[in-house]
Amino acid sequence: MRYADFTPYDIILLLQGLGVTLALFVGTTLIGLFLGLLLAIVHHYRIPGCRPVIVVVTEALKNSPVLVQLFLVFFGIPAFLHIRMTPVEAATLTISLNTAAFAFVVFRSGIESIDRDQIEAAKVFGLGRSQILRLVIAPQAAAFAVGPLVGILVNQLQVTSLISVIGVFDLTKIGNILNLRTLQPFIVWAVIGLIYYLAAKALAHAGGRIEAALRKSVKWGGI
Amino acid sequence: MRFWRVIEPYIGFLLQGFALTVVACLLAIAGAVLLGALTASMRSSGNGLVRGIANAYGDVFRNVPFLVQLFFFFYGLPELGIYIGALETGIIAMSIAGGAFVSDVILSGILTVDAGVIDAAKVSGLSRFKIFTRIVLPIAMRVSVRPMGSVLINLVLTSSILSTITVNELTGAAKIVAATTFKPFEVYAVLLVLYASLTTLLSFAISAVHHRLNRFMTGG
Repeated sequence: MRYADFTPYDIILLLQGLGVTLALFVGTTLIGLFLGLLLAIVHHYRIPGCRPVIVVVTEALKNSPVLVQLFLVFFGIPAFLHIRMTPVEAATLTISLNTAAFAFVVFRSGIESIDRDQIEAAKVFGLGRSQILRLVIAPQAAAFAVGPLVGILVNQLQVTSLISVIGVFDLTKIGNILNLRTLQPFIVWAVIGLIYYLAAKALAHAGGRIEAALRKSVKWGGI
Repeated sequence: MRFWRVIEPYIGFLLQGFALTVVACLLAIAGAVLLGALTASMRSSGNGLVRGIANAYGDVFRNVPFLVQLFFFFYGLPELGIYIGALETGIIAMSIAGGAFVSDVILSGILTVDAGVIDAAKVSGLSRFKIFTRIVLPIAMRVSVRPMGSVLINLVLTSSILSTITVNELTGAAKIVAATTFKPFEVYAVLLVLYASLTTLLSFAISAVHHRLNRFMTGG
């Protein structure tokens, strides 16, 4: 047997890579969604001075390549602040912020999609600020936001492949290793691509089901 | 200013990288629009096989990371005996990936055209080609300028990934500058602002085109 052949152990290697990719994706998604929601709420309450800062930062994150953001965080920040940062930390920070920027826009338009009259009516009924947010705004904004969010998350799953460039051993990095060892790029990259494809499809499918469930409660009956 | 002091000696080098980014993006955009238009017409075809092939292409290339696609072409093409440079490989990969997204935009643009309008054109005796170029396309263009713009902006951002296959476009050039100056923070911060300004300018241009094409639409 030559070292260049595929071995059964490669399957474990692929699964490890997939595990790292999924763990990082889930982690950054949770942080990103939470942060995006927080930004949207701060934006909603018009806290003085916050709005322009939030808009400029999220626009910069949305309008620059993720690869450059990764380089800035992984190479730039440690050199600038004289701190240590592992590839995983840099990747988590960057992708979380990136997801937050995209999620912020969706949550903001979700909140803005709610009629002012509803909020006025809720105030008249004597609901407090947090009650209005929880009982009136949140359920409708969630149903509005799920569709676009699923699209964003499918995209962010693919974006995680970039973290291999700063040395995280994710699925793409495993592909690089297998590619260099076996020199069979067609098989290796087709398999890696297929795994990403299946993951994206599963994610889109799950998102579709969540959306259907959320929309049930706010179904538009028609005029 | 410290940022300018770091960047200044390398401005010429970075501009070369920028020129390469512009060339790659323009060629890739042209390729993506051509491929996208072809795919969109295939996806609206009556033939099930043609439609299936076009749909499969769009589906696969939208759901696989661009980096993986790029490596597939970069390492895979030489195995087929096709030896082309990294830049050419990058432009081809960007065109193919971009085409998948562009076909979506064009297809939904075509689908917004009312069937009655096309019937009316047929009755008036216009040829199929004339109907497509004079009736369907202008109407479809109006609605698809904005979504098309965001696809093209995404393509510009994607071009930074070409730096991973040894193309020294703007990001690749900045990597070299960061490595020579030992000032990665300054270099990448400037780079981030540069890309953000470039894409923001592009989105203003797209808005202008949108307003120009929709200038006859009043009210809403």
